[in-house]
Amino acid sequence: MNIKTAFSVKTDLRDVVKDIQAQLGDFETKLLVFFASSAFVPDEIASRMGDAFPGAETFGCSTAGEIVTGRMLTNSVVAMAFNQQAVKSVKVEVVDDLDIKNFKAFSSFERHFNKPMTKMDPAQYLGIILIDGMSGKEELIMDRIGDLTNVNFIGGSAGDDLKFNTTYVYANGKSYTNAAVLAILEPADKFSFVKTQSFCPLAQKLLVTKANEANREILEFNHKPAAIAYAEALGISVADAPNHFMHNPLGVVYEGEPFVRSPQQIRDNSIFFYCGVKEGIELTLLESTDIIASTKKALDAARAELGGISGIINFNCILRTLELREKGLSTVYGELFADYPTIGFSTYGEQFIGHMNQTSAMLIFR
Amino acid sequence: MAGKIKQMIDAFVNQRAQGNSVLEGVVKIKLILKGIDPKMFTPQSDDDPAIIAKLEELMKEFK
Repeated sequence: MNIKTAFSVKTDLRDVVKDIQAQLGDFETKLLVFFASSAFVPDEIASRMGDAFPGAETFGCSTAGEIVTGRMLTNSVVAMAFNQQAVKSVKVEVVDDLDIKNFKAFSSFERHFNKPMTKMDPAQYLGIILIDGMSGKEELIMDRIGDLTNVNFIGGSAGDDLKFNTTYVYANGKSYTNAAVLAILEPADKFSFVKTQSFCPLAQKLLVTKANEANREILEFNHKPAAIAYAEALGISVADAPNHFMHNPLGVVYEGEPFVRSPQQIRDNSIFFYCGVKEGIELTLLESTDIIASTKKALDAARAELGGISGIINFNCILRTLELREKGLSTVYGELFADYPTIGFSTYGEQFIGHMNQTSAMLIFR
Repeated sequence: MAGKIKQMIDAFVNQRAQGNSVLEGVVKIKLILKGIDPKMFTPQSDDDPAIIAKLEELMKEFK
């Protein structure tokens, strides 16, 4: 076994770290990825996890709920350890200015892997991004990463257990806010990405004709006030529209595959979203389907594609977690991952190719 | 003038994907998320200077 998971629901951080160390035993950890409830003091968890695994690269973030093999948790810490046989090489960097256009991180990756980011083979390398979930900068960073490399980055926006105050990312013993952790991994074996969002596209299209992207606000669809156009597309009143946000978000659809944009609220007939949308983009109205069935189908397909799964990191939207809780399906969802070493967390946004909402973005190792 | 944007998009996708069909899809999605939807542009589409400048910048950066 070259990938191993551990978790702790203890409340004292010293006990948590000891618990995780004990579960990993004499495993020779080269890389440790961890996700921790916001109940834990950021500086303390970052430094204690770093100190506990001195020979390893460690990174992680705060969450709005955790996932581990077979279970959805709260107020816990979950961790995934990789040895040299799982990950040949890894480099972790912090972007502590999310407005910057030229990442020093990328120069560091190029030095470490001894090749330009533009020439790195996306079948050989993968990227992980963990980013401050309150920064509102996810689109900017993902757009910039996408400009500079073909390596696929997958990840999530850090959470703070629905307090919506401050979220943290952790790297090699330190905690950061208004920052992102970027890591490039060279796995020893095949890997794959799953993006599953449990929505089907409907026929109705809404063209973004006026938007304030920085505020994640759409003012007009099809040259009409956004809230009115959205309500008309659904055949409902504007007053009733917020009740449909969860089940009828919008999506950028490419060859049937939606990249979900979730409405948050209506103000003065504008709709504010959980991620930005540019003018000129055509959005498709979506309708929710069965999270459990679609996740199982996606996992089965990934297992068939890879011929087996040795580890999963699941970046699962908090809105999906809330829907699962509301429907009493959290246990069933957790059990979908019972056969696979898994960690994950409930995110404030998911990243894969771009930034999106109401999605589970999963990194899967063979 | 017309059709330059479609030509540039095709060239950009080729530059980035090098014939890899999976990568072609990824590159097209990245363009859509930037507000440049490849399917909206044909050989008859007007040459919008702002979009042309954006595509030139993207192509220059990935060299």
